[in-house]
Amino acid sequence: MPDASPASAIELRGLSKRFQEGESERTVLQAVDLTIAPGQFVVLLGQSGSGKSTLLHLIGGIDTPSSGCVAIGGVDLTALDERDRTLFRRDHIGFIFQFFNLIPTLSVLENVTLPGELAGRPRAALETAAHDLLGRVGLADRASTRPDRLSGGQQQRVAIARALLHQPLLILADEPTGNLDEHTGEQVLQLLIDLTRQQGRTLIMATHNGAIAGRADRVLRVQEGHLLEASAPAAAVPA
Amino acid sequence: MSQGDAPPVVRNGPLWRLAARRWRRRPLQYLLCILGIALGVAMLVSIDLASGSAQRAFSLSTDAITGRTTHRLVAIGPGGVPDATFVALRRRFPEIPAAPVIEAYGRAEELDGELMRLVGVDLFSEAPFRGLLGGDGDGRGGGKGAGGRGFVPFLTELGTAVIAADTAERFGLHPGAADASSLLHLDLGGRTSPLRLVGSVSSGSALERRGLETLLLVDIATAQDLLAPAGAPAAPALGHIDLILEGPAQEQAIRTWLPAGLKLETAAARGNAVQQMTAAFELNLTAMSLLAMVVGIFLIYNTVTFSVVQRRSLFGVLRCLGVTRRQLFTLILGEAALFSLVGSLLGLVLGVVLGRTVVGLITQTINDFYFVVSVRQISLSGFTLAKGMVVGVASALVASALPAWEAMATPPQMTLQRSSLEAGWQRLLPWFLPAAFLSGGLGVLLLRWDSRGLVAAFAGLFALLMGAALLMPPVLAVVMAALGRAGGGFGVVARLAPRDILRSLSRTAVAVAALMVAVSVIVGLSIMIGSFRGTVVTWLDQTLQADLFVSPPSTTANRVLGKVDPAIVQAVAARPDLRAMVTYNSFDVHLADQDRDITLIAAGGDVSAGRRPYAWVRPGVDDPFAALAAREGVILSEAVYLRDGQGAIPEQVRLETPDGVRSFPVVAVFYDYSSDRGSVLMDRSQVAELWHDDNVASLGLFLAPGVEPEAVAAELREGFRSRQSLLVQTNGALRQGSLEIFDRTFAITGALQLLTVLVAFIGILSTLMSLQLERGREFAVLRAGGMTPLQLGRLTLLETGLMGLLAGTCSMPLGYVLAWVLVHVINVRSFGWTLQIALEPRFFVQSLLVAVGAALLAGLYPALRLGRMNISEALRQE
Repeated sequence: MPDASPASAIELRGLSKRFQEGESERTVLQAVDLTIAPGQFVVLLGQSGSGKSTLLHLIGGIDTPSSGCVAIGGVDLTALDERDRTLFRRDHIGFIFQFFNLIPTLSVLENVTLPGELAGRPRAALETAAHDLLGRVGLADRASTRPDRLSGGQQQRVAIARALLHQPLLILADEPTGNLDEHTGEQVLQLLIDLTRQQGRTLIMATHNGAIAGRADRVLRVQEGHLLEASAPAAAVPA
Repeated sequence: MSQGDAPPVVRNGPLWRLAARRWRRRPLQYLLCILGIALGVAMLVSIDLASGSAQRAFSLSTDAITGRTTHRLVAIGPGGVPDATFVALRRRFPEIPAAPVIEAYGRAEELDGELMRLVGVDLFSEAPFRGLLGGDGDGRGGGKGAGGRGFVPFLTELGTAVIAADTAERFGLHPGAADASSLLHLDLGGRTSPLRLVGSVSSGSALERRGLETLLLVDIATAQDLLAPAGAPAAPALGHIDLILEGPAQEQAIRTWLPAGLKLETAAARGNAVQQMTAAFELNLTAMSLLAMVVGIFLIYNTVTFSVVQRRSLFGVLRCLGVTRRQLFTLILGEAALFSLVGSLLGLVLGVVLGRTVVGLITQTINDFYFVVSVRQISLSGFTLAKGMVVGVASALVASALPAWEAMATPPQMTLQRSSLEAGWQRLLPWFLPAAFLSGGLGVLLLRWDSRGLVAAFAGLFALLMGAALLMPPVLAVVMAALGRAGGGFGVVARLAPRDILRSLSRTAVAVAALMVAVSVIVGLSIMIGSFRGTVVTWLDQTLQADLFVSPPSTTANRVLGKVDPAIVQAVAARPDLRAMVTYNSFDVHLADQDRDITLIAAGGDVSAGRRPYAWVRPGVDDPFAALAAREGVILSEAVYLRDGQGAIPEQVRLETPDGVRSFPVVAVFYDYSSDRGSVLMDRSQVAELWHDDNVASLGLFLAPGVEPEAVAAELREGFRSRQSLLVQTNGALRQGSLEIFDRTFAITGALQLLTVLVAFIGILSTLMSLQLERGREFAVLRAGGMTPLQLGRLTLLETGLMGLLAGTCSMPLGYVLAWVLVHVINVRSFGWTLQIALEPRFFVQSLLVAVGAALLAGLYPALRLGRMNISEALRQE
């Protein structure tokens, strides 16, 4: 499997995605072109069903485009087979979901070390790094707790730690605050932005929340299958 | 709501529409459930139909012969009713219709060797009874041919016969034709005689036609001629005399007149006796088929639970929107009823197909052990089909009641919570232990309740199995928790698998319990059959000591029905190359103590040469056979007193002889695995004296040292061919033949075992598929986080493998318990046989392999499906 270069950009070329719905075909994304510089924080805005999540899934390699290509760190994901795409994802991409999606049978610590363990990394080193990360997200004392004992905000913090542990090139966050109250959402968001900025990671976040756009380096809008550059990353950008 | 208000309108249409959409979305899950029910019902129905068909074939052909007979005069003992008795009876009671009958079984090449029931009748006496020949206006039959062209030769010529028109047509025979197409060569106990078909019989009723199919009607004189031993001095006897008695006065008159050595019995009594003979055998088969249904119930329970669990949020929303508890309950039970109905219907069809296959095996066993019957087709009994339907649907409703009640009783906000069901199970977990012990205790009590016969024993066995199944949730919880902790060092997959099983305990425990029960049935039956075979091999080795065994070729493998020509017996006895010769003969005798028939064996010497082991020998008796020869008493087989929980070894037995009931002291009890009805050994000379029968059915020859058995066997076969064709077997060949019968008897058990495992396999497959569907999103997260399809496959197979391993491991002790119960309780009560349990490692290894193999196989499809999952799509589902 080709290795990704941290210095290379994320590039989408002619990316399209169509879904079959009964007899008809629905185009969600149409010939999308995009280049994102390393270390940028990009916000994806758009109405529900506009294709934000689909775009994130395509960039993350958990879905395949109908046409076009996705290159991350110089590696064309669409040219990889299923196994290599998975391995690439495991090493270079971190996911954060709206519903946290922690594995209920694993403890907080085990959830955080999961991707690293799947990659066969030494457990001791993983646990040290995980404890460190959990400390930074304020959950140092909850390492052995099961996810169902945590609040929504705490669960999302665990998900952030899980996404960052293996120091991915790219973090994809799909409505990470969508399931949290305003105050908690704000805390989680700040934590996510701070950590990715500290590590110099690229963060692409799909959200309805226009207010987040003010903190982004770049704001994009998914509209009728097209990706539009929003005029300015300002707090006033409507969702 | 005031009394005047209209009752609230409740419409279930939308709920059923929702349910139907779900069936379309998850068809495989419901199909597997339907298949599980279908297999369970099919097994029940096939066994019932097959054994019912054998009974029915026997009773139809008996009915055809019985006609309007109310009573029959039979001989006490094997000699038959003297011809003179019939003449005397007609003179003394001219007003009572009476007809002589002789019955025997034989085979003819021209009929492809099919077993035929030869019936000798007296045409002049027949009219009031059967009307098979010539027609008597009652619509029962009506002879075709016999009454016209064939009538005269049937009466006047020896060696003529009438056959069913259908049978003649089937074999391309032409009764009445002048060429070979009307000729049969009938083999009766080794003597082949030509028979010319002079007419055919038929009936307007399909049932009666079936009854006639295996009959070969001859004149009584022809029957006597065919059955008379070569060179027999006097005219042979009649089989029995049929009577039509009107009222108790006539019955009393006959009883008063009855000459010695004869008895009067009702026509119905014989049919009952035949049914009783096979009752235990059939109950055993039915219980085996019910086991599959029990495993099927687990499957239904699991499917319905899944359908409830997976729709918990939907039910929560519906409850919030105003759907009543009753509506939910009705919906879930209604769904179960619908699927079980479809499954049961499919089961009936499968059962009929399977029944056609099984009927051969069952008929063979009945022929080997009980009575002679030839079954050409299975009888579709409405009662059996209805029973299959009821059992299928009722099982599904019982299995669904708990999850339906759970869905109904849960408040709406709880129904929405994902973990409410599992939390309920966790709370219930401590209660499984007392429930298991209660069920197990009940089982032990039922098994120890020894006067209650077989039904209680089987109920006890089922209670034990249920107890073991109830033990599974706590065992699974403890084992998986321990493995989850221990798996820490073996990577994340090793840690996830046991925890996933634990997290879905409500479903995994049921699947593992079902597999455990199914596999324990394999272990139990393997141990039982293995022990049985071992016991029989040892028994044969000890009992069969003669070098050669001579008998007429028999219609059944296990019993000798013909007799050896007395001249042959004499000639063989005079051979100089013999060290000794023993003779055997057997016939039914009435055991007055238990009011049932057993087998009386007239032994002229001990075929075991004193090596036979005895279950019991009367204190003071050194050699039971010497005591027999000295007429000090008789030797009983275990089955005489062990069957049906009869109890202790009797001091004496009372047997019916032609001169009245006589008591015989019991000197010993021997093992006899060739019959389950019980037998009594008596010295040949004593039998001849008391029952006036000195026939010989088989010979055991001990050859002088250095004489080659094969050479003597060939000489005997050839030397007497012109008088009687003989079956001469060496010691080894007879043992081999006996073991072949043994294996054939248990072939059906093997088939039932396989089907039970198939049902359990479907259960595991269905469970895994449902778990996979339920956890689709979780697996998608794992895949998004970098778990490769291979790793995910490994996780699935590890989960199923662990479930199979636990089921297989637990099935070993349970299988042993099952075997113990089968050997020491069920077998003793059913057949009166005591067996030595022999444990072989292969029984356990085999079952472990079956359990793990079945579980892994069941995990394969979900693993493959998961490998191809669309992660993006699965993540969107919630």
